[in-house]
Amino acid sequence: MNFVSFSNWITTAPAWIVSLPEGLQNFMYQLFQTFVFADRWKLLVSGLKITFIVTLGALAIGIVIGLIIAITRTLYSNYVVTKPPFILKILNAIANVYLTVIRGTPMMVQLLIMGFVIFVPKTDTGTIVCGIVTLGINSGAYVAEIVRSGLMSIPKGQTEAGRSLGFNYIQTMWYIVIPQAIKNILPALGNEMITLLKDTSLVSVIALRDVTKQAQNIQSLTYNALVPYLSLAVIYLVIVIILTRLLALLEKRLRRSEH
Amino acid sequence: MNTEKKDAVIRVENLEKHFGDNKVLRGITTEIDRGEVVVIIGASGSGKSTFLRCLNCLEDPTGGSIYFDGVDIADVSVDINIHRQKMGMVFQQFNLFPHKTVLENMTLAPTKLKGMSKEEADALAMKLLDRVGLADRADSYPSQLSGGQQQRVAIVRALAMEPDVMLFDEPTSALDPEMVGEVLDVMKSLADEGMTMVIVTHEMGFAREVADRVLFVADGIIEEEAAPAILFDSPKSEKLQNFLSKVL
Repeated sequence: MNFVSFSNWITTAPAWIVSLPEGLQNFMYQLFQTFVFADRWKLLVSGLKITFIVTLGALAIGIVIGLIIAITRTLYSNYVVTKPPFILKILNAIANVYLTVIRGTPMMVQLLIMGFVIFVPKTDTGTIVCGIVTLGINSGAYVAEIVRSGLMSIPKGQTEAGRSLGFNYIQTMWYIVIPQAIKNILPALGNEMITLLKDTSLVSVIALRDVTKQAQNIQSLTYNALVPYLSLAVIYLVIVIILTRLLALLEKRLRRSEH
Repeated sequence: MNTEKKDAVIRVENLEKHFGDNKVLRGITTEIDRGEVVVIIGASGSGKSTFLRCLNCLEDPTGGSIYFDGVDIADVSVDINIHRQKMGMVFQQFNLFPHKTVLENMTLAPTKLKGMSKEEADALAMKLLDRVGLADRADSYPSQLSGGQQQRVAIVRALAMEPDVMLFDEPTSALDPEMVGEVLDVMKSLADEGMTMVIVTHEMGFAREVADRVLFVADGIIEEEAAPAILFDSPKSEKLQNFLSKVL
């Protein structure tokens, strides 16, 4: 049984609800249908879990891809006068194609292709992995630009000082440039995480049961769109507000440690 | 290798550097002997800084050879990082690492590149800091130091790698006038100890006092070279006479 009629529900409702005007009674009924009946709030909680897993997983992949792409492109852009090595040329070409394709096509289309053409996952775990990988690949393109501008904000003299001591390029990046660039990169990366969190709502198209998909399920069970979808919006909004606050705190702390 | 000049630390042969069509260095040949202090002077745009930066391949030479330890480091197949460990460099803008303390600035390369233990590296760094009178600033961050102090730290940071040669790229040009002296004093004491040094500078008084040999670079070649007393007092080429009349 996935439905209880209003007339049945109102007979079991507490007295304070019965005393409400009719319109509010109906709203309370819909809240009951959406969250309480058949423990439907558990659907939303399990959906939220998926949303968080996909967001964090995609962000992790995005950072790894973004870092590789950003370093490749920064390295390549150092060769202004002399010719870059062949392997770097290839890597840079791949990076450019990747950035063009990913930023030039909608995320929804990317999900459809990954979910129904490339991966075609058969299991729940498979679907989650497919979602994480797709969003991660998408996010990498944006993280790459964030990281690149962060790296470029560090004066060239820092790299030269590192290289003159005998560090190779990667060591110079790792010990000297990246630790300084992180102060510029972290806040922007936080914004990317917020964007990513909201973008995960698209994974419902590959039947991943994230919080949006669960709200859709509840809507189809209750024949009521208003409460599930407004609640969904409130859920996203609250999470984003909390994240934004945390980011502001982080930014403040980073600035305080500036010497 | 040239066997007659065993003492040459760096031997430069017909060094060229082109930026596109712009020929900044047009064939420089010279030798820098162990313990020698060579000062490079010249007008801005003459190629003197580019020459210095080519010596440790911060700028990749486009032609010619640079022999260091008997190896042509201008050859791109050579692992330049190994050789750079033995060539300290001091920059005009200090280029200290702002996210690290003075001590960390100095111990980073010795611990990561030479496998020195933290204790050893700390001890060496403190000894060097003491020498330049900055032992009490070991835990400061670069931004808490004056320009002169920063440059002294930059010098001992390079020395912490125990290099065979020190390269100075206009080390006092970014300093307030009252701080130039303290940096030159450190360089002078370094020269007195027998460090091999190549210095690009506009400090003619310093060049005259400390240099064993002065190179005057103009239009990408060594226009004239001699001991400072000779070069400053009886310049031969018209370009050098012209240059000296403007700076002295």
